[in-house]
Amino acid sequence: MILASGFFEDLFRGILQGTPPGAVYALIALGFVLTYKTSGVFNLAFGAQAYISAAMYFKVHSVWGWPKWAALLVSVFVLAPLVGLVLERAIFRHLRTASAVSKLVVTIGLSVALPEIFNWAARFSAVAGRQITGIVPDGAGVYYDPFGVYRFNRDELAMMAVALAGTLLLAALFRFTMMGLSMRAVVESPRMTELSGINANRVSAFAWALSSTFAGMAGVLIAPRFNSLSSGDYFTLVIIAVAAAATGLLISLPRALLGGLGLGWFIAVFNTFLPGLADDHTWLRPFQENLTPSLPFVVLFAILVLWRAVGRQREASDPLAGVDPPPPALAALERHPKLTLFTRLFGVFFVTVVGLVVWFRADVLWMSLVTKAVIIALIYLSVTVITGMGGQISLCQGTFAAIGGFTVFQMADRFNMSVLAAALIGAALAAVVGALLSLPVLRLGGVWLAIATLAFAFFFDAVMVKFSWVGGGSTALLTGTQVPRPLIGPIDFASDRAFLVLAVVALVVVSVVVIQLREGTIGRTLAALRGSEVAAASIGISAARARIVAFAVSAAIAGLGGALLAMHQQNVNYALNFAPIVALFWLVVVVALGSRTVEGAIQAGAAFALFEPLILQGELLGWIVRGEERLPEFFPLSGNWRLILFGLMAMQFARHPEGLVEHGKRRSATRINGWLEAREARA
Amino acid sequence: MTRVLEASGMSVAFAGIRALDNVSVSVAAAERVGLIGPNGAGKTTLFNCLLGILRPDAGRVLLNGVDVGGWPAHRRARAGMGRTFQRVELFADTTVREHLLIAERVRNGTGAFWKDLIGRGRPTPDEVAVCDEVLELLGIAELADKPVESLSLGQSRLVEVGRALMTGPQVLLLDEPSSGLDRDETQVLADTLRAVQDTRGYAVLLVEHDVSLVADFTERTYVLDSGALIAEGSTADVLADPAVRRAYLGSFEVT
Repeated sequence: MILASGFFEDLFRGILQGTPPGAVYALIALGFVLTYKTSGVFNLAFGAQAYISAAMYFKVHSVWGWPKWAALLVSVFVLAPLVGLVLERAIFRHLRTASAVSKLVVTIGLSVALPEIFNWAARFSAVAGRQITGIVPDGAGVYYDPFGVYRFNRDELAMMAVALAGTLLLAALFRFTMMGLSMRAVVESPRMTELSGINANRVSAFAWALSSTFAGMAGVLIAPRFNSLSSGDYFTLVIIAVAAAATGLLISLPRALLGGLGLGWFIAVFNTFLPGLADDHTWLRPFQENLTPSLPFVVLFAILVLWRAVGRQREASDPLAGVDPPPPALAALERHPKLTLFTRLFGVFFVTVVGLVVWFRADVLWMSLVTKAVIIALIYLSVTVITGMGGQISLCQGTFAAIGGFTVFQMADRFNMSVLAAALIGAALAAVVGALLSLPVLRLGGVWLAIATLAFAFFFDAVMVKFSWVGGGSTALLTGTQVPRPLIGPIDFASDRAFLVLAVVALVVVSVVVIQLREGTIGRTLAALRGSEVAAASIGISAARARIVAFAVSAAIAGLGGALLAMHQQNVNYALNFAPIVALFWLVVVVALGSRTVEGAIQAGAAFALFEPLILQGELLGWIVRGEERLPEFFPLSGNWRLILFGLMAMQFARHPEGLVEHGKRRSATRINGWLEAREARA
Repeated sequence: MTRVLEASGMSVAFAGIRALDNVSVSVAAAERVGLIGPNGAGKTTLFNCLLGILRPDAGRVLLNGVDVGGWPAHRRARAGMGRTFQRVELFADTTVREHLLIAERVRNGTGAFWKDLIGRGRPTPDEVAVCDEVLELLGIAELADKPVESLSLGQSRLVEVGRALMTGPQVLLLDEPSSGLDRDETQVLADTLRAVQDTRGYAVLLVEHDVSLVADFTERTYVLDSGALIAEGSTADVLADPAVRRAYLGSFEVT
């Protein structure tokens, strides 16, 4: 062996070890960049697409017993492009000129919904503890050792070979074919391309099919490295792809390729050396245990924050976007005053009736569900602030809420502090964390800001939660984080009814605060920034200051909500309530239903908490037909329907990016205005 | 004569190409100055350097004698530099009056966070009065409650001017205000700008492609070509200069 010295041998081994996964990362990063380049979509659902192919491969090969080549054909070369084509046709074609942020929301929705839809349609359940086979015979068994330091197995060789082939194919496509040239043109401006006689739809469909095939291939290749097939692992995969793609600023295919390989090497080398270092320096040990799974997120965050070119990069926008009609104003602006009065009266009436029914008729379970809906609505108001008012997507609202919840737990547990005081401290702490987080990520625009907050959420999830001074040191679902109900003088909120009142009061207070902020200086400053950042600067508005305030306020609201939720459930329940994937779900629900208004957040909160019991389990229908025994047989529906409907909601959002509630309001406003005008004309 | 805006020795290079080469311009109080030049002459680059959107490689920018070279755009705006945009930049979803109200609020600096919380953040009657006065001055008072999406381009430019006026500028930088307007609309804009400037008494730096507007509106003019100043002086003299005519590749009628 030429490399005799221990350090260099370790380094070399690390690099060899990191090459096969690096090759797969490169493959998925290439597909990711391809989608972004041809459709401007920052496709976070890419991991979900990879998962579908991997699961299909497993199903066809291991369950049905088909040969490997047939399984590969079905999963990668039939199913994957088909999924890409369907997504392009049904969703992204309509979004081509939408803002980058609304596209992002749709892909987040899909990343949650797609695996569930597949699992339900294919009756597939995740396999744990079963060896997942690769695409070559005896993949894990036969070893090759070209350099005498690291033994590649066949699966790993297949990863490298396929990634190389995919790269060469793509390079040839871009260089030598008309389709490659057309794809490059479509990136610049779909409409200008169409004006020059190219069918942009066909080009975009082709690109989606191709990039989905890349995703599927990567998914099948990497599967043997996972212990079980879970959509969560594949979501991590897409984060790695984003990090790799970011090194190429999302536009350079060769650099995305190198970025993928580099990440594979970095992670492997890191894992080679850190255990040794941690043996010598004990203080490194908690980091070693916690940091390794979150390495992709840390790397991504570091790239975004430290590499200035990413912040400077402007979003791809269509040069002809200026010919689009401007987005319509809020429906409330053009609503007839009579209609406004009517909806307000109806709203008060509806809330009163629901309140009375819940107060007098609801049992413990329903009382608890309604309380949860109220608290979730409160948390959603934090999205109203940061997204609706600030125009920015934050994917770490769950983390802010968790900070509130954990603060209450720690304060009550250690100092026996009143939980309400602790909730305020938690909100303040979340505000500080939000403000600190906003400092480095502020200069990032739209999508990158969202991704940086996502990386932060996953970092918190993988590292911070495990510290005993955060999550209490217990493992798994962190159910050991007991939180008592509050007690103010003689009023004991241990009773569910009393706590519901407390939650409603909190929701009303926060709603009023949000409305005041929206109408006040901050809200109007943020509206100006949302409208035009340069113009806002030209009248003396400091974008940084306004956004720090928006982040802090939003984080405080989320923190308060998290604290209340912990009190309500008398436990923090981190994994169930606040995990990053839950926060993604939240965001899509709020944005899809309407992030601009307070009632949008409240409706979204009710939908999130009550949809499943009320609709899926047939409670509402049962009440209408008076008697559960008269319900049709298919009730209660499976909980998967929730995720499937959620996916459909994301698709609907694609057509109405202002939010579904807002869309409905505008439609009714237009209709009623027309009706009133007709009546006046007759009179 | 006091200099409101004074830029000296401005140089900028993009990837080795000299976009600006040792350019100096100055604007006196209440003066109307033009800056013209063919496409690619460096007008926009100079404009961006003056406003703090672009950092020059060399050169100083003085605003009322204070070196504002290291200041970000929003700080220069507060110190008295107003501007409009070539491609209209308005705030979506807001009315004309709201555009002016937010600018007024930023100028008078009464927008503390706690005031928002207790409901004191809404526009005060005084602020509304000040804004309506400016709208009146610009002749767009009847548009006050219109959402800006419903305005014509000419009206939008007036809203931009109004918004800039709310910051109480000492110098107003106008970025090609005539682009996209026809001859009549340009004339209306020029008349309004002159009338408002007479009442308010700020200085104007007009970056413009349309030479007739410059001839009509400005007292003094700078001519940029390929990143260097090729002429400066009274507008009539400059526009008669053969070198300037050559730079524009042909002749034009000075009206």
